[in-house]
Amino acid sequence: MTLPRKSACRLFLLLGLALATQGAAAQSTLDRIQAKGSVAIGVMLSGPPYGTIDPNDRQPFGYNIDLARELARRLGTTASLVEVTPPNRVQFLQQGKVDVLIANMQWSAERAEILDFVPTAYDETGGAPVTRRDSPIRRWEDLRGQTVCVSQGSSYAKPLTELYGAQVAGYPGMAESLLALKGGNCVAAVHDGALVRHVVTDNPEWADYTIPIGTQIAASPSVIWLRKGDAALRQALDAIVRNLHRSGWLVEHARQSHLATDGFLDRLHDQALAGQL
Amino acid sequence: MITSVLTQFVALARSAGLNFGFLIESYERGVWLHGIVVTLELSGLAAIASLAAGLALALAATSPRRWLSGAARALIGLTRNTPTLVQLYCAFLVLNSLINDAIGGAQHNPLTPFAWVLIVIAIHIGAFHAESLRAGLEAVPKPTLEAAAALGFGPRPTLLLIRLPLALRTALPSLTNNMINLIKLTSIGSAIAVGEVTYASIMIWSQHDNVVELMILILALFSGLNMLVDRLGRRIETWLGTPGYGL
Repeated sequence: MTLPRKSACRLFLLLGLALATQGAAAQSTLDRIQAKGSVAIGVMLSGPPYGTIDPNDRQPFGYNIDLARELARRLGTTASLVEVTPPNRVQFLQQGKVDVLIANMQWSAERAEILDFVPTAYDETGGAPVTRRDSPIRRWEDLRGQTVCVSQGSSYAKPLTELYGAQVAGYPGMAESLLALKGGNCVAAVHDGALVRHVVTDNPEWADYTIPIGTQIAASPSVIWLRKGDAALRQALDAIVRNLHRSGWLVEHARQSHLATDGFLDRLHDQALAGQL
Repeated sequence: MITSVLTQFVALARSAGLNFGFLIESYERGVWLHGIVVTLELSGLAAIASLAAGLALALAATSPRRWLSGAARALIGLTRNTPTLVQLYCAFLVLNSLINDAIGGAQHNPLTPFAWVLIVIAIHIGAFHAESLRAGLEAVPKPTLEAAAALGFGPRPTLLLIRLPLALRTALPSLTNNMINLIKLTSIGSAIAVGEVTYASIMIWSQHDNVVELMILILALFSGLNMLVDRLGRRIETWLGTPGYGL
């Protein structure tokens, strides 16, 4: 069936427009950010110390937020913060809703295949379990065959299943996962160590709960993620992150946000001062 | 033989830029196929339970006893007017905890997440079935009921032999509609970690970031399933067709 002439013309016009806009997008992300004067940064607002919303002025604050704003400032732009969650963060980045991801995403070979990342890490985190105080769990091996709550998209699901034989149940977010723990639907909830430490300490609602295991699972550096091929932006951000390590900015802001990193940031700070970073 | 077909399919898809790698990894493939089984189990059991609930509610709603019809109308209104996901969260995260506290610990609680999804879906779609059946019951012509009374049929024989059969035939297209909704509604199980196909897909795509590929499979699965239900509905309509009622 051949198209009537009018529809064919319209079709080619649309195709031509589509191709033309593709050509325009070949401009590098860094140039586009600096021309626009703002960079869209995806952050997770899953709770203190990384990112949360202050109830008084409804503004986000936290370690990741501070880092995002500082990176934007050093690039000569302003940060436009976009909230992301583990199930949608990669899609937001790939579709261009955000240009940079500072979302507690750890390095993994599989992710490195589809995305680019800034080689210098800004945090190291692993999973820590929350259990009831009267639970018999004392070691990671005690989780074998037990139901463990995580959030969907958690990087701890695979090691929990493969290394310790736990039955992993993924809930839409950390909040639902902790609620399920409270309701007795799992023996432990495994989330980022810094996040659960904040939940369990100084919280009367969680007085009956504790972190029974001192070591963390799958501890791995969190890096900043970018779209594949953004070489200019990657180099610019890497230089900035190294600078922040050297000047002690990251150590200082982690301390302000009550983020405990078990000496990771201090080590990198020392390495940067010694010129080994 | 199946593995070689799958390997070829995965390689072909990769050349088109699609990552179906989880199909050749036995653990993840197992989880995903089990998800399909759970979806089918949930749909089947919920279909039967919702029909039973719907029938009970419809009879209560059309009952001449005011307290019964009032209570049934209230229940139908409450379940229809609130989102199913919210009802599920309420039931599983709140009601379940209260039950655990009442019976002294989660280990004594026989209700699994699967059971909760089943209960919530059955009641929710049951309310929709009730309205469809109520329409059917009210569509039975008054002269027919008067003739039955004149012939000496009591209330129960009238209900079982005259009202319900005719109501069912009138309500059938609407009931098929509700069943299709029910099958799609099983997806809410993914919010409370019930291993149906949506949950299995989320757990896979959050590890491998292959959302589009899994979406294609889920859409194909649900389309196929609902097409079968639609066909089955039509078959039953033809089979039950009565002269003077659309046949």
